[in-house]
Amino acid sequence: MTAATHKLAELDDVTVQHILGRRDRRLTFLTFAAILGVWTAVTGSGLWEPLIRPMFLPSPVAVAETFWQLLQTGYQGRSLAHHVAVSLYRFATAFLICILVGVPVGLLMGTSRRIRAVVEPPIQAIRPIPKLALLPLFLIWFGIGNLSKIIVIAAPVFPLIAISSMQAVRSVSAKKIQAAQSLGASRFTIFRRILLPASLPGIFTGIRVSISIGVTMLVGAELTATSDGIAWMALTAAEYLMTNVVLVAVLIMALLGYGLDRLFLLIETSIVHWTGKD
Amino acid sequence: MMIEPIDLRQPRHGTPPKLQVEQLSKSFGSSSGSVQALAPFDLSVEAGDFLCVVGPSGCGKTTLLNIVAGFESPTSGSVYVDGKPVTGPGADRGVVFQQGALFNWMTILDNVAFGPRSTGFSQSVARQKAMELLELVGLSAFAKKYPYQLSGGMQQRVGIARALANNPQMLLMDEPFAALDQQTRELLQEEIRSIWQRTNKTILWITHSIEEALLLATHIIVMTARPGRTKASFVSPFARSSDPHVASSMEFAAAKRTIFQLLRGEAKQAQQMEEVP
Ligand SMILES: Nc1ncnc2c1ncn2[C@@H]1O[C@H](COP(=O)(O)OP(=O)(O)O)[C@@H](O)[C@H]1O
Ligand SMILES: [Mg+2]
Repeated sequence: MTAATHKLAELDDVTVQHILGRRDRRLTFLTFAAILGVWTAVTGSGLWEPLIRPMFLPSPVAVAETFWQLLQTGYQGRSLAHHVAVSLYRFATAFLICILVGVPVGLLMGTSRRIRAVVEPPIQAIRPIPKLALLPLFLIWFGIGNLSKIIVIAAPVFPLIAISSMQAVRSVSAKKIQAAQSLGASRFTIFRRILLPASLPGIFTGIRVSISIGVTMLVGAELTATSDGIAWMALTAAEYLMTNVVLVAVLIMALLGYGLDRLFLLIETSIVHWTGKD
Repeated sequence: MMIEPIDLRQPRHGTPPKLQVEQLSKSFGSSSGSVQALAPFDLSVEAGDFLCVVGPSGCGKTTLLNIVAGFESPTSGSVYVDGKPVTGPGADRGVVFQQGALFNWMTILDNVAFGPRSTGFSQSVARQKAMELLELVGLSAFAKKYPYQLSGGMQQRVGIARALANNPQMLLMDEPFAALDQQTRELLQEEIRSIWQRTNKTILWITHSIEEALLLATHIIVMTARPGRTKASFVSPFARSSDPHVASSMEFAAAKRTIFQLLRGEAKQAQQMEEVP
């Protein structure tokens, strides 16, 4: 193949991908539009009789109004921004610790059998324990402040990130390692220039998978012993059947999860362009 | 002009050969018993030889190459390069893989520069060496691309340039062109032949294509079905021929038939072995 024809083939690939991407996005948009349409239809939105009572499912318009109200007056003495920020703080701190500690631990487990023999069994032993069940214990140990909440969020996320990082290292193809060895690379060079970059896609996948688990744990963490947070807002509003408020909080959490996933996808695609290229 | 039988087990010159394989055997143990991949195997390759190994699949060709490369250790016997025992992989033996061994997170240039960089050269010197090799394989225009942006044939060229970057005296290639289409394969065979002629490297080349072996090799080994041992070995004149149409000559066809006959019996046996576990 000549250079010219190769360039052409490559161009074609890029355009095809671009068109597909646009089509995909249009489909995604349609899905959301359809959901909103059905929601509007069954709740009436003040235009016709609702099929479902507002107490169970308020209309999109009512939810938007509630959101606007919450923005102005806050919820239970604190601004909406405060509730979002405090939840985000708990989640982000837990997540950051998990990434900063879990990824290196996983990488070490993946590279050294001895380290794996020491570290993996306890991690695996802790994995099946439902972490929310440990919340009362964490409250006793770490107090009713943010620390216990951060720890309960980190508890399931940490092993997930560590184990997936380990597996990412272990699944680096033997051929690539052998190629590096026969090119004279030292063990350290192989770790830094082969194992680390080759396992980044897998590490990112592990991180993104654990985002939804982290958000779930956030709800658990704000079940008790707190008076702020977006999940706490939903839980307390539900006690008074303020479905509007519950929905606003749920949507904010959904958006949070989705936003974080997109954020990490963005970081991933901007640094690991080789994902899925093997 | 014809292929002639030759004994490749012992050194043919007085001096130590480039590669000496002595009584090499390899068994793979598993829960269901052990498989002997290589029977005690002897082989001597002189500097500048282009040795092609052909044999039925599963006869231990890759195992042989992996042991010479230092990726695997033998069950018994030993391997010497320039008289020194092989204890592990090393920059003195360049390896070209069939596919999937390029580093997708590095540019083509850095893939090729990886060897010099790892053996102590500065970034700029390593890249300069890499650029020269990319020119040699006609890919200098793609230096800033990533491997997955290249066609299969171009990727193999990068693999060859990368293996050459440390200037190893010996190249080990395990069916490097098996995944390529016929046209690309012929082009690359031509290129590897000219590289070999210019640099006089010692090449151990595994292939299942008899034609490829005859076109490239100065020496050919036909292996038996598992456990692999030498069934026959030849010295072959075609690689040194200047006739561009040597492959359509009567002699070439006759040589092809000779090796084909030898291989067919072994291939049948290899097949039976797979049917009876
Ligand atoms: N790592 C391994 N573990 C177990 N058996 C293996 C391993 N590598 C190769 N073998 C077996 O050894 C034999 C020779 O394999 P190989 O050298 O790959 O053959 P070839 O390259 O000639 O096709 C085969 O039967 C194969 O199944
Ligand atoms: Mg093989």
